[in-house]
Amino acid sequence: MISSKKRLVIFILIGWILLLVSDQASPLRLYQGSYIATYALAIASIILLTGYSGQLSLGHGALMAVGAYAGALAIDSAKLNPMLGLVVATLIAGLFGLLLGLVVARLSGPYLAGTTLALAVALPPLANQFEFLGAQQGLPFDVGAGPERFGEEFSQYQWYFWICALASLIMIWWIANLISSKYGRIFRALRDNPVAAQLSGINVGRQKVVAFAISSGAAGLSGGLLVILLGGVSPSAFPLGVSFFVLTGAVITGLYNLKGVILGGLILVAMPEIADSVVSRVGGSEGLTTSLPDFLVSALLILAVVFTPNGPGHILKRHH
Amino acid sequence: MKRLSIVSAVIATGAMVLSTLPAQAAQTTGVTANEIKLGISSPTSGSAGLVYGNVPGAMKAYFDYINANGGVNGRKIKLVHRNDKYTVRGAATSTFDLVYEDNVFAVVGALGTATHQSGYKAASMAVENVPDLFVNSGWSGFNDKVAYPTTFMLLPTYAMEAKVMAKVVKDNFPGQATFLVAQNDEFGDDARAGFGAASHKFTREFPYPQGGMDIATARTILEAIKAVPGKPVVVLFGTGDATVAMLKAAEELSLTKKFTWLAGSVGADANTLLALKVKPETIDGVLSASFMPDAKDLTDPYVKQFVAINTKYRKGKAFDNYVLAGMNSAMLTVQALRAAGPNLTRDGLMKAIETKGSKFASAGLVPLGYSATSRIGYNGYWVSQINAKGEGKPYGGKLVIYTTDSGAGAVTENKTFVRPTMPKNGIPTNK
Repeated sequence: MISSKKRLVIFILIGWILLLVSDQASPLRLYQGSYIATYALAIASIILLTGYSGQLSLGHGALMAVGAYAGALAIDSAKLNPMLGLVVATLIAGLFGLLLGLVVARLSGPYLAGTTLALAVALPPLANQFEFLGAQQGLPFDVGAGPERFGEEFSQYQWYFWICALASLIMIWWIANLISSKYGRIFRALRDNPVAAQLSGINVGRQKVVAFAISSGAAGLSGGLLVILLGGVSPSAFPLGVSFFVLTGAVITGLYNLKGVILGGLILVAMPEIADSVVSRVGGSEGLTTSLPDFLVSALLILAVVFTPNGPGHILKRHH
Repeated sequence: MKRLSIVSAVIATGAMVLSTLPAQAAQTTGVTANEIKLGISSPTSGSAGLVYGNVPGAMKAYFDYINANGGVNGRKIKLVHRNDKYTVRGAATSTFDLVYEDNVFAVVGALGTATHQSGYKAASMAVENVPDLFVNSGWSGFNDKVAYPTTFMLLPTYAMEAKVMAKVVKDNFPGQATFLVAQNDEFGDDARAGFGAASHKFTREFPYPQGGMDIATARTILEAIKAVPGKPVVVLFGTGDATVAMLKAAEELSLTKKFTWLAGSVGADANTLLALKVKPETIDGVLSASFMPDAKDLTDPYVKQFVAINTKYRKGKAFDNYVLAGMNSAMLTVQALRAAGPNLTRDGLMKAIETKGSKFASAGLVPLGYSATSRIGYNGYWVSQINAKGEGKPYGGKLVIYTTDSGAGAVTENKTFVRPTMPKNGIPTNK
């Protein structure tokens, strides 16, 4: 277990390298990198909730949507600075998670999963009904073109990358700290043996809600980052597929360890691209071309569950 | 700490090496001496793929035909397709990849309103000045040169279609009650704006959320209006699945002949309706608006030519209205590329469409509205009546073309428009 000072240094180092690399990377790599960072954060929030506190959520897309809308409203209506907008996204989603957690605290296992699934299906389309949420068309999430002092060479995608990479890095660092603190031990106790945890004085209900709230906040932030890349938030930006997509990433890289999150984000972004290029090289019928990428991602999920149920990150951990 | 310092030294060195990589040289993206690369982001899987999946293949077939006959000013056209699965995220990454990974010269035929709104912004097409040709959406917002400076629409807007429908109802069904079944979002709102602009008031409206029209909902609507006297007109301004739901519900309630059905062009493709098991007797007599000839009309020279290309280059695949639309877009694209001249640039392409686009030959039976100030493509409709065989014939027996705008302008009968003759063998020779 590394000390928190070491962790801080490592994260600062990673951040510094990312900023350096971003100067030379092409718009494509920057755009992909932004997605990787965003998904890595979403995966981290799932790992916190499911891997560490044992609560299964099939509806993280809804939490991401709450954050995205909150942030968009903050920037669009309240005219806040985009960075503040992201903070708002995190806080509002966290608050929503807190309230939601209070409601579902008694649920566990398949019942919690089902409730969150229902949320993922029902929540985003609700925005259709409200004009101030932009209805079908949605709201823009405009982070501007990047500070002028960076000069003309600083492209839009470099700006996106800076925001996504740094926001994710900070939040993941904070979660990592949390997990290695007493809260992490409490969450693991909740997951492994709620009865024993209760007996040793842990308020299981309250801690479950806390985990839910923090995870939601992180998910909300990743939702805000995602809609930056999409150009805006709308109900169609968060279909049910998003929830399953990030959950797949979390399972593939291991639910019990934060170390795999960046790999998870990378896989989620790279798999469809790799599949596309495999398909275009191999050729084949139109039917194959369109279904192969999804098939490959699903196959990878199955293989991961069968061969590395704790994720390849776990294998890395053992070699330390 | 030692390991950490080694790691940081390695990484710092790597970063310094990377910072010495040279920048890329500038040239017209997507154009070489032999090839022009175009991109299309559209669904070819999922439920949207079932309906629109043939469009990229159809466009490619036409481009292959042109390539086999000399290409465009000596260059062959290559069409890159990316499946966006009709989702916003899919369109964002697909369009981005077309622009930054495939480095296409222009994007053509982008499909869907919400999807393309996202794709256009995600790929920064305005900033990168990437031409956005012949978008497959009727949303009038794409005509905004400030928000979409490189976009050229193709389809008439939903507002235009609604205005034409309003005129048809007024002229042919005076005194009958009228009902509107449309989505409660910008697709339906565009239509409502059109009906409003034409001063048409519905007896009652039935809005529903996108994807939310199923047979049960349709039955509720029909039950509510079945007792209205006379033969009311029901306007179905939705997607194919919604039209199917309403018609099948009418079959179940034996109300198919109680109403006059006026189905919007988006959801009224007769082949689709029949394929989704709506009875031929039900679609017999349904009115619709269209701006293209019917794909089954082999007396039309454009249709005949496209069918021939389809047979040769897409062996075994059926020819329907979507294939017709795809090939038509491809033909317009070829003319645009030709008009831009051998020294092909993005600005040149867009200028060519602005100045010469309104004269391009196409299968459309209504005029094209491109000009220095307008990015609207087709600006009118003719009214068709479907028969039990799924053919759309001019309502009233004679083809009448109505043109209008998306705003308060009147709907006029266009008696002077003569469709440009199809270039010989379907191969454009324009300059």
